[in-house]
Amino acid sequence: MELLEIKGLTKVFDNKEILTNVNLKISRGKIIGLLGKNGVGKTTLIKLINDLLTPTKGEILINGNRPGIESKKVISYLPERTYLNKQMKVSEIIQYFKEFYENFDSEKAAKLLKDLNLDMNQKLSKMSKGMQEKVQLVLVMSRNADLYILDEPLGGVDPATRDYILDTILSNFNEKASLIISTHLISDIERILDEVIFIDKGKIVLQSEADKLRNKENASIDEIFRRKFKC
Amino acid sequence: MEFTFDNNIPIYIQLLEYMKIYLISGVFQCGEKLPSVRDFATTFKVNPNTMQKALAELENLSLIYTERTNGKYVTKDKKTIEKLKDEYATTLAKSYFEGMKRIGLGKADSIQYLERINEKNGIIRD
Amino acid sequence: MLTKLLKYDLKYMIKNMSVFYIFSIFFAITTRILFSVKQTVIIDIIGQISVGTMFSMLASVLINTLMRSWIRFRDSIYKDEAYLTHTLPVTKKDIYNSKFLQTLIFFIVGFVVIVLSLLIVYYTKDRWIALKTMINSITSGLNINAVLFVLSMIGIIFLEIFNAIQSGFFGIILGHKKNNNKIGYSVLFGFLEYMISQTMVLILMFIVGLFDGNIMELFKNNNILLNSNTLKLIIILTTILYLLIIYFMSVICKKELDKGVNIE
Repeated sequence: MELLEIKGLTKVFDNKEILTNVNLKISRGKIIGLLGKNGVGKTTLIKLINDLLTPTKGEILINGNRPGIESKKVISYLPERTYLNKQMKVSEIIQYFKEFYENFDSEKAAKLLKDLNLDMNQKLSKMSKGMQEKVQLVLVMSRNADLYILDEPLGGVDPATRDYILDTILSNFNEKASLIISTHLISDIERILDEVIFIDKGKIVLQSEADKLRNKENASIDEIFRRKFKC
Repeated sequence: MEFTFDNNIPIYIQLLEYMKIYLISGVFQCGEKLPSVRDFATTFKVNPNTMQKALAELENLSLIYTERTNGKYVTKDKKTIEKLKDEYATTLAKSYFEGMKRIGLGKADSIQYLERINEKNGIIRD
Repeated sequence: MLTKLLKYDLKYMIKNMSVFYIFSIFFAITTRILFSVKQTVIIDIIGQISVGTMFSMLASVLINTLMRSWIRFRDSIYKDEAYLTHTLPVTKKDIYNSKFLQTLIFFIVGFVVIVLSLLIVYYTKDRWIALKTMINSITSGLNINAVLFVLSMIGIIFLEIFNAIQSGFFGIILGHKKNNNKIGYSVLFGFLEYMISQTMVLILMFIVGLFDGNIMELFKNNNILLNSNTLKLIIILTTILYLLIIYFMSVICKKELDKGVNIE
């Protein structure tokens, strides 16, 4: 059974077809880049996998289950926005995650927070947006999930933090889990990708192993992407 | 240590290069046990799958072998390593002389430059 | 999971409501003290201010409990916090039940605070006896137990308010299925549902009236002269009807939520 299987997924919103007939299979133990320009449907696809949107047509299966309690236990999702209750302190959020997610590793979270110089006792409302985003990343990476989904984790992040994020992703790697990074900043991350998926105007244009694609086109993924989607 | 990678070339091929140099330069000796795939991946800061691919290719070239439960080892066959070293040295030498020829230097001068620059900069000492 | 959700929902409400509870009781106490000491012009003025402040605190308790229930419902299910709520491994039913129970609990707490404050300010043995006498005069004439009567009146008011709150929940759920003007539609649907539920109580009463002449009298002649059995019947019926409506609406709300959400 595939980790993630998407069959014939279409999403219509406000009379616009945002995703059209998306078919995808993602197996375990891979780091995958979901690459596309802004506004092509990446976030919509991710929200559908996370049960934040309902499909108009088609099916999403995670470990064979439709999005629901079972899939939520094993998916760790980092949205593009800050979504935590800002009245809480970092330590309280850690406690919150620990209570709801069996596979949450609070020791790991404490270590990551320390590495990133984040104060456990600080209220989120007193932190800068960048710091809040780092807290959210720590929460996501501290779970022992089957599927990690990071939506634009590198936007507006300084190079040192970006490197730290990539290092954390790599050290988190295990053969039973997969990680999807959705981004339009391809050159920053393409080095660590196993597979790439190009999405444009709500359709999957390409799904391939990264090195195979480089070999075939004799260029970087970033370059291949630019060629394909010349403005 | 920071390893740079060119995104235009398959990553595993670049890893292969780094590994080959490690092998022929003696960082890993013949018959020596190699670090795990994960450790390598962490050192190079690459995807473990990509690292695995590079190591698989090394195995294809008989430069390393896998002992099922114990891990990966450098080949015991010195000759294979020597042969690879010879290939690299030959390529470097060729490229040196072709370069000198292109800028118009003769045979004697080219060889002299080799000795002189090495002495002056202390690159390879005895 | 329900208890965990409820714990955090309650924590949120406590954080936001405790100020009003504390101030209500505080000003109730100060008012009582001011009313009890020797009255001078200054003390009288301060006392008026104090009691006025207390009443505004009580109003705040009421309004805040109401508004915050709706706003919290909307925010955690449809706004940014929804990204957290809907990715937790909990059912939509549990999410709804948690909000439902949280609202119920805080309404009870608010009610207790209000009654307590009023008691603190106004209780004297004489007044209490006078109140009891008045109630007894009504209930003995009608041959009903006074305590039960008072409790059932409070109960019905409670159910009415709670029905209104749930209408708000219903409105928010339906309103957010629309693409635009979500708040507008939420208010509209909530209001409609409230009116419909009120009408249903009347209609069902009317139907019972077809079988019970006394109740029909009430409809025909607006006749307030009730005998005790009719009154008991009305009280019991109203209570049951409201309970049924609240139950069925919560089932419908949960079903609608289960169909899925579409978070911006």
